[in-house]
Amino acid sequence: MTATITHPGARSTTGPAARPLTLAGLLAVLVLIPLLLAALSAESESAGLAAAVQAGVCARGAGPLAALFAAEAVLLAGATAAAYFLGSRRHWAAVTLRQYGWLALSLLALIAAPFLIAWQTDSSVCVRGQAFFWQSIFIEAFILASLAISYNLVFGFAGVLSFGHAAFFGLGAYTVGLLMLHLEWPLLPAVIAALLISLLTGLLVSVVALRIHGLYFAIFTLTFAEIFYVLAQNRIMADITGAEDGFTFAVPDWINATQNRLTFYYLALLFLVICYLLVRQLMNSPAGRVLHAIRDNENRALSLGFNTFAYKTMAIVLGGVLASGAGVLRALLNKGASPNVLSSTFTIDPLLMTLIGGVGTFNGPVIGAFLLRMVEYALRDSVITLGSFELNIGEHWFLILGTLFILIVIAFPSGITGTLRDWWRSRRQPLQKRAAAAGRDH
Amino acid sequence: MTTTTGTIYRSSATRRSLLISAAFIAALLLANLLLFNPGQMGVVLLSGLYQGMLFFLVAAGFSIVFGLLDVLNLAQGSFFMLGAYMGFFVYGALPPGTPIPVRFVCALIAAAAGGGLLGALVERALIRPLYARPVFQIVLTFGLAIVFTEIIRTIYGPAGLIPVQPPAVLDTTFPVFGARFETYRLFIIITGAVLMAGVLFLLRRTRLGIIIRAGVQDREMVQTLGIPIGRIFTLVFALGCAVAAFGGMVAAPYLGAYPSMGDQFLINTVIVVVLGGMSSFEGTAIASILVGLTRATVEQISLQYLQTPVLASLSILLLMIVVLLVRPSGLFGRENG
Repeated sequence: MTATITHPGARSTTGPAARPLTLAGLLAVLVLIPLLLAALSAESESAGLAAAVQAGVCARGAGPLAALFAAEAVLLAGATAAAYFLGSRRHWAAVTLRQYGWLALSLLALIAAPFLIAWQTDSSVCVRGQAFFWQSIFIEAFILASLAISYNLVFGFAGVLSFGHAAFFGLGAYTVGLLMLHLEWPLLPAVIAALLISLLTGLLVSVVALRIHGLYFAIFTLTFAEIFYVLAQNRIMADITGAEDGFTFAVPDWINATQNRLTFYYLALLFLVICYLLVRQLMNSPAGRVLHAIRDNENRALSLGFNTFAYKTMAIVLGGVLASGAGVLRALLNKGASPNVLSSTFTIDPLLMTLIGGVGTFNGPVIGAFLLRMVEYALRDSVITLGSFELNIGEHWFLILGTLFILIVIAFPSGITGTLRDWWRSRRQPLQKRAAAAGRDH
Repeated sequence: MTTTTGTIYRSSATRRSLLISAAFIAALLLANLLLFNPGQMGVVLLSGLYQGMLFFLVAAGFSIVFGLLDVLNLAQGSFFMLGAYMGFFVYGALPPGTPIPVRFVCALIAAAAGGGLLGALVERALIRPLYARPVFQIVLTFGLAIVFTEIIRTIYGPAGLIPVQPPAVLDTTFPVFGARFETYRLFIIITGAVLMAGVLFLLRRTRLGIIIRAGVQDREMVQTLGIPIGRIFTLVFALGCAVAAFGGMVAAPYLGAYPSMGDQFLINTVIVVVLGGMSSFEGTAIASILVGLTRATVEQISLQYLQTPVLASLSILLLMIVVLLVRPSGLFGRENG
């Protein structure tokens, strides 16, 4: 019952199937139109389409471009809302929009965001300025969201609680950085090596710790991550890792976030989309159903003949690889890495983001990551004064995070997405079903 | 210590675990004999015991609470840290002119009492609503650890407090085969051993201990027999926190007090508890000594050959991984764990 409702894919069995690829094509067209129009309107002396596009994109304020994007977004939002409330259940377009419309809209908004911000702040997306600064905030949010998605795959979907996710994140950052710094590997092989190493680490962790009691796994990962942290910040390897200070390395120009930040922005967004779709596809596949069953009742899945160990290993390995991909992006963004990326911060953050957004939901981790990152940015420098008591938010950020942890766990265990979903569902369900749903224990 | 607990010999599995532990300790002693001179060896073994006892003080509560309540209390290390700070507070707040021994004893009592009260409060208010959702319980204690650490950091600042002065009797050194060893660390060893015996007595010889052990085996059955298991839960949780907080103050005159000490001890505690086998108190006791000795030995080796103590923390992490591979439920854990 629960399983069929939580997965949007299951709804389409009664009507025509959704066509997400068509929607993706539409999205591509929606993105390309403003770009081409911008290229045509640009007063570029040099010939060639690429130069024209660049000139159009980099124009100060990016007015017409941003306005076009905004208009498109409004249109798409209108179409989706119409499909949601008025659309027929028999027509594929309505079905597709109902399932994927909001997703496409969010993606369009994120693609257009740099231009909209440039428009609003009257700056250029290509040079240092307001828009540039906001891009870096978004990039960080993308990376954290990818990390949260990977954590949610392990914790929310496979039901395996891990306190060592930072190990994968930091492993990716350190591997790519060290390979490029000391062995002078090109970017691509270094990235692949980083992903492979975290894949092997994921396998190792699973083989060592998954055979045993579930709670052991949580504390095993806690100590396992500590190994990496101890190694990274120790003086003994200072020549290689730079010990507590970390190290910096040079990245190719095209991905250098100081110069080509817009490129990096779309790269990080692409990675986020890949993570999102990968996890969504996986969880809607038969293997995902098995993972779901394992989370709800492992012994039962086992007695049905599923190799639960293999499925959980798969989730942990995939989660680890995605987390290390996020780590790679973080190292490339900062052009360096420090032991901080291996510290518990990068376990606490994705865990909290997943909790805030909603454990075991597709959108939750992304929403949680954005919310947390934006709130942190907005409040970082503010000071709350209560009588004689002054609270500097930035200084006590972790205190706030910890309090949030406790509040959410006690009061909103299913997070924003989960709470909203439950509320929405309870409104649409007849009374007796509502009672049944309330009796269900998550 | 183990000879006083006849029950531990019951199964051949536990006997084998005991043999393994004994063999391991013998190997450590041998390594000590071969590598160090007598003075060094004495200091290494004593500081091994000292570390082991500190780990034990945090791990004892962790292990019993997990055994009975099925709660992994990741905030246990924070209670150790809070104990140190509460003790410091009382030590400094007593009127001037109070003799140091009185201050010291008052600080110890205050730490234990404060830790116990806070533990009871946490169990009642935060842990209790979550028994139906065990995974969230762990997440909650994880958050609690952050909050405690940050509150202390807010009040006292990120830097640690300078260690308070213990009574003069304990504030000296004594000779060990030509080397010197601090009397205070010996005091910690003795305190740990006394507490170990005390908890063992509580578990084995008192009515409360019988209820706790029965509860570890079958919680529902104990409840069916008319025992208010909820109250026992609170009591055990509070006791565990009290022991950890007491341990924090015991350690404070030597270690000082700093906000991150809880996290450091938590990792070691977790290793000890996993090694010993979750929910086995005897296992925890033996494993804490084992881990302490291993750490101290490897630390000395590492200092001698690499000039940094880096191998010490790595060695016990490796030890845990190896033990988990060979015996997935720890040295003294039940196989079906």
